[in-house]
Amino acid sequence: MNQPELVVQLQQGDESAFRKLVDEWQHMVYNTAVSIVQNEDDADDITQEVFVQVYQSVSSFKGDSKFSTWLYRIAVSKALDHEKKKKRKKRFGFVQSLFGSSGEEQQHPVEFNHPGVQLEKKEKAGELFNALNQIPEKQRIAFTLHKLEGRSYQEVAEIMNTTLYAVESLMGRAKLNLKKELSKYYNNNIS
Amino acid sequence: MNREEHINKLVEEAMNSVNDVTRAEAKPYLLTRIHARMNREKESFWEKAGWFIGRPAVAFTGLFMLILFNAMVIMSNKTPDVANTTEQTAQTQTDEFSYTVATIYDTENTQP
Repeated sequence: MNQPELVVQLQQGDESAFRKLVDEWQHMVYNTAVSIVQNEDDADDITQEVFVQVYQSVSSFKGDSKFSTWLYRIAVSKALDHEKKKKRKKRFGFVQSLFGSSGEEQQHPVEFNHPGVQLEKKEKAGELFNALNQIPEKQRIAFTLHKLEGRSYQEVAEIMNTTLYAVESLMGRAKLNLKKELSKYYNNNIS
Repeated sequence: MNREEHINKLVEEAMNSVNDVTRAEAKPYLLTRIHARMNREKESFWEKAGWFIGRPAVAFTGLFMLILFNAMVIMSNKTPDVANTTEQTAQTQTDEFSYTVATIYDTENTQP
């Protein structure tokens, strides 16, 4: 079944179409989420949220972009919202700890292991993911969609609602900043 | 290899570590969890509404509005409207409500 047919069936409230949608796109949504939030449980939560939102708002999908592009946009924005919420919670926990009460403080693991990275490269990839957290959001999203989700620059441009030139520029700066962050890290940690 | 070269090598290795990455896969039974979440969200609507109404700010504002409304109603009723007051005399009351004295004689002698 092609994407427009699937969308029509979803808009008609076809339950089997929704099952097909989840079967087909769950790994893409999960991989995008886990690459951004760097936490498997949070990514699982976000994946559920994305499909709930798709179910609730598919009637508003006008077909201006590809359905997959729309899905990516929802996944990215949900993941970023989740991150912001988590940061707010962390700040609130810090303020609470200043006043002596035990605020619920949830910390990311120090080093994230992406499940799709080869075993022998996990350590190096963990260091790269740490550096990824230090670079600006747009550069991080462009890098994640291109390198970890395997989207072309053109597709990244469509998802991020920007131009091809802007994505090329974002990727260039992302690589440069990542190298800077990694150099800083190795300079401090290698004797 | 000097220190800088060594660091550059490590940086390159880290940068290339995700070149052949495969897609991370979602945990099984995702659809079941999505349905459970949808049901939970439906159920929790009234819980959320109750929680919202129960918030001190909302509850006190509601209470204040209620008291204010009552006070306004009481105040508007208390103000005497001098222009429209009418003195009710015994006669006007009798006319208005058709007071009559019922006697046994009246009920028994219905025929003229």
